[in-house]
Amino acid sequence: MIVLNSSDGATFEVEESVAVQSQTIKHMIEDNCADTSIPLPNVNGVTLARVLEYIKKHAEAKDDEEGLKSFDAEFVKVDQASLFEIILAANYLDIKGLLDLTCQTVADQIKDLTVEEVRAIFNIMNDFTPEEEAKLRNDHAWAFE
Amino acid sequence: MAERRRSNGSSNESSSSSSSSPGTAAATVCRIPDDHIFSILLRLPIDSILCFGMTCRRLRSLTYSDALWESICRRDWGSSSVDDLIKAHDPSIPIAWQNLYQQLHQLDSVYCRRLLAAAAPATPPAPDMVPSPRASHSLNFVSGCLLLFGGGCEGGRHRDDTWVAYMGNDLRRILKWQKISSDIPSGRFGHSCVVVGDSLVLFGGINDNAVRKNDTWIGRIVLHETSGMTLSWRLLDVGSVAPPPRGAHAGCCIDKRKMLIYGGIGTSGVRLGDTWVLDLSENLCFGTWVEVVTHPSPPSRSGHTLTHIGGTRTILFGGRGLGYDVLNDLWLFEAYEGCFWRWLQLPIDLQSIPHGLSLPRVGHSATLILGGQLLIYGGEDSCRHRKDDFWLLDVSSYRQPIITLPRAGLLTQMWKRLRAVGDNPMCRSFHQTCADNSGRYLYVFGGMVDGVLQPAELSGLRYRGCCKSVKLVNSSSSSF
Repeated sequence: MIVLNSSDGATFEVEESVAVQSQTIKHMIEDNCADTSIPLPNVNGVTLARVLEYIKKHAEAKDDEEGLKSFDAEFVKVDQASLFEIILAANYLDIKGLLDLTCQTVADQIKDLTVEEVRAIFNIMNDFTPEEEAKLRNDHAWAFE
Repeated sequence: MAERRRSNGSSNESSSSSSSSPGTAAATVCRIPDDHIFSILLRLPIDSILCFGMTCRRLRSLTYSDALWESICRRDWGSSSVDDLIKAHDPSIPIAWQNLYQQLHQLDSVYCRRLLAAAAPATPPAPDMVPSPRASHSLNFVSGCLLLFGGGCEGGRHRDDTWVAYMGNDLRRILKWQKISSDIPSGRFGHSCVVVGDSLVLFGGINDNAVRKNDTWIGRIVLHETSGMTLSWRLLDVGSVAPPPRGAHAGCCIDKRKMLIYGGIGTSGVRLGDTWVLDLSENLCFGTWVEVVTHPSPPSRSGHTLTHIGGTRTILFGGRGLGYDVLNDLWLFEAYEGCFWRWLQLPIDLQSIPHGLSLPRVGHSATLILGGQLLIYGGEDSCRHRKDDFWLLDVSSYRQPIITLPRAGLLTQMWKRLRAVGDNPMCRSFHQTCADNSGRYLYVFGGMVDGVLQPAELSGLRYRGCCKSVKLVNSSSSSF
């Protein structure tokens, strides 16, 4: 069993065979840096719990394609902020499948949205002047025919 | 989904200070490393990428990154296209990828130029200096050279000569043809010849005794420092299994050492609808033919085109079917790891394409050009009229790494008819074309014009961007 410590002090136990889906953890174990527990200062408890849920499911139901597909679909039904936290964690922990899944989810959310809708969904502040914005729309008109 | 998200986060006002809920997504999207924003963006169509970049200053500068646009060009045009472009470009000037993408997206015309085969255009070249007029020959670009073989000429006689002209990286105005060999392979027309690696693979064809063939030949050009170019043709050992003899079929290279052929006219004049793949050994010493039997499969035809568009996918278009009708259907052939093959018909809605009713074609040419699009030229339509029009078929959406294609009807191709400026390209059918390595130039040779064979002039085509074409040509910073 491997013990993982999140940034906010939460502790999680997970089997080594499951944990090595994270290349980062795998390398730490191989380099013998994982004597008692592995500190993960870049991931908070809530997010780490979710990531572990993902890798546990993908380890135990490895061959059940249909089951994994519906699990993944449910897994990404979280709020914006949490989704980004998972992307950052998947990046830090180097879990390719989770990174692909979350990036694709974000892409699916952005697809077919207008600029205003993208701003709303990500809470992005518009710092263009009206003239700058008009020029941008004009410059990019070619892609919207 | 969006509604639920909005109620979780702070207010909808884009200029809110989000004091009601700390650590909202506004902060998070900016914390994601550029690489991951890129990997999100690379899953999106161009208009969504640009929308994303129009939200705020930081994201705008991110989406203007040349690294991102080079990746987009690779995604939409194929890596080898981009690599060839980089190779042909002056290394001291960085390529403006976003600009290039936009120019190609707005492509609306081709510039045609007749190439001369002699230094003095007034003097007619001697018969052994240039290839004679012909149709249903093969024309390929390999090892920096144009290579022409065989074909049929007046009186239905076949030709058996091989000609080579060194081109290098630029469009040359004057060609120097060199006759390489005669009578090997034996004379024929309606054969297929494709480039596999550095070599040519020739298959089948018809000779002037109407005998259909099914022999396979390998040709290699060797450029010597002193003795110039030599070419060797040798018969390929394929064992006991080979496709039935045929001519007027189509072939293309689908993998490093695999060639696909489909259809054609077999012995006793019957149109075929079978699919075969030739698997070549390393060093091309021998090959194995395998028939691919799948359902559905395109109906039998001849005079169609097969064009590899990158990755595992090949496009088939047009031809003449069993009922002697001219076809306009479009099919996609997918080959995964050489063990999973399938044909998928792509729906065309002729009514929705301007001038679409002239689209059924036989004896046309379809070549992959820069930008991952198919340039379709000439051929005969349903009324037996030879055409001189150029069509661009955007197949970039079929190149995406999607495992399952969406339901039919959701994927629509984009057909666009181009203007031709410059020299008159002429109405022709059963001509041959090939593109150079950069995909910017297309060479056309031969073919038939209303029953009369075209004079043996080689025409070069160069594309130009949008309506600002004059500016492009004069501008020194343009990479076209």
